[in-house]
Amino acid sequence: MRRTLLMLAAFVSGCSKGPETDLQYIKQARSLAAEWALINQQAEAGAVTRTYAESMHQWLHDGLQTASVSLTQPNSAYGAEIRALIAEPEDAAPDRLRSHSEALKQIEDKLESA
Amino acid sequence: MNPLELTLGIMTAVGGFVDISELVFAAKAGSTFGYALIWVFAFSTIGIIVFSEMSGRVAAVAKQPVFNLMRHRLGLKLGLITLAASIISNLITCAAEVGGVALILNYLTGLPYMAMAVLVTAVLIVSIWVLPFKWIERAYGLLGLFMVTFAVALVAIHPPWHQIAGGLVPQVPHGLSTKELLTFGYFTVAIISAVMFPYEVYFYSSGGIEEEWSIKDLLTNRVTSILGMGLGSLLAISILASSAQLFGPMNVDPELPGTAALEAAIPFGKWGLILALLGMFFAVAGAAVETCLANAYSIAQFFGWMWGRHKKPWEAPRFTITWIALFVAALGIVLTGVDVMTLVEFAVLFSILVLPLTYLPLLLLSGDRKFMR
Repeated sequence: MRRTLLMLAAFVSGCSKGPETDLQYIKQARSLAAEWALINQQAEAGAVTRTYAESMHQWLHDGLQTASVSLTQPNSAYGAEIRALIAEPEDAAPDRLRSHSEALKQIEDKLESA
Repeated sequence: MNPLELTLGIMTAVGGFVDISELVFAAKAGSTFGYALIWVFAFSTIGIIVFSEMSGRVAAVAKQPVFNLMRHRLGLKLGLITLAASIISNLITCAAEVGGVALILNYLTGLPYMAMAVLVTAVLIVSIWVLPFKWIERAYGLLGLFMVTFAVALVAIHPPWHQIAGGLVPQVPHGLSTKELLTFGYFTVAIISAVMFPYEVYFYSSGGIEEEWSIKDLLTNRVTSILGMGLGSLLAISILASSAQLFGPMNVDPELPGTAALEAAIPFGKWGLILALLGMFFAVAGAAVETCLANAYSIAQFFGWMWGRHKKPWEAPRFTITWIALFVAALGIVLTGVDVMTLVEFAVLFSILVLPLTYLPLLLLSGDRKFMR
């Protein structure tokens, strides 16, 4: 019985690895990058408080870290893109952050249409 | 009719419609599917208006809160299942709200999230202990009206009103893939479930008893249900429509509750952001109070204990200990570090189970002449 359960667990974990499983984290990272860009754009325009921007940066960074460590294929192209995003400074230019978001969106669309 | 009498409905609706789950669900729905899910809000609003009016009528005429009558109608076994599912759903929702208020305080002050969660819980407990029921509903109901900032912000960004009006027509967008259709279906069910959270009717009907409603208050009940829930729905739809206009085209599917506040910051700058965050703070804090009291009301009513905030805390000791314990349990869940949005998704899941078990007996009871004499 125990052996059957272990085999079942191994089968399920084997099935749940790969880009399909990672899609949710790619989507999450894509949106977080776009949210980060929007916050920095509003911060540049003086439309948000410094405290708000700093708090949001912290939460965005935590969200991206969680997405990154949850990937089943961290050495993939999207894994590298998410790591590059995490390495950006808090006050990164909105356009630069949007380019990361766009790159992840393209990967996401490709995986969804596959 | 005194306009302040509407505050029970406003608190129930603002805390029910624009709690932490709705802030994210409405914003995500707008950014993902544009205006196509507005009809789900309109449909659920009619549902919650009908059921809250019914529960208020049962409270005013039969002088019985919903959970008390449900136990008689469902029998002990099914009543216990409903109670258990409702306790779990409300407790998880309460934890999500406590976490949500702590998050909003973190956005406003920059102080640590966990410390804010402890502070928020202490302040909420003290506010329920100290304030009479009337003042609890007035304080959280009226201060939650800061949320109107979102409706004003929507007007300020000049949205395509004809498309928003088109969203009121029941529809499924064309050309969706199977996955997208499933996501659309998930959003539809989640919105209905989140708008019609059973804790709203538990709180509303118990509130009617707290305020000693009688047959002469039936008009107040009807007006309160329609205006309160209508306002809540308007605010939720405003968040959805602003998100469709501002976030959708930028690939933003709000992952953080704080992103919703940008809807007011974009047209109005820092003051818009602060007013939106204050509105979110009071609305979510009101929802935390609502879910906690709704849970304590249900338990006390089910077991036939003395209950109510119209009594001094020591006059209904088991009820008092229950609501304090529920707040402490909710804080305990938050302190484990679990993500607020994960809590929200679990709460919605349990709510789907409780929905029919709450609303079907209520429907049968409100038409039962034996109870409604």
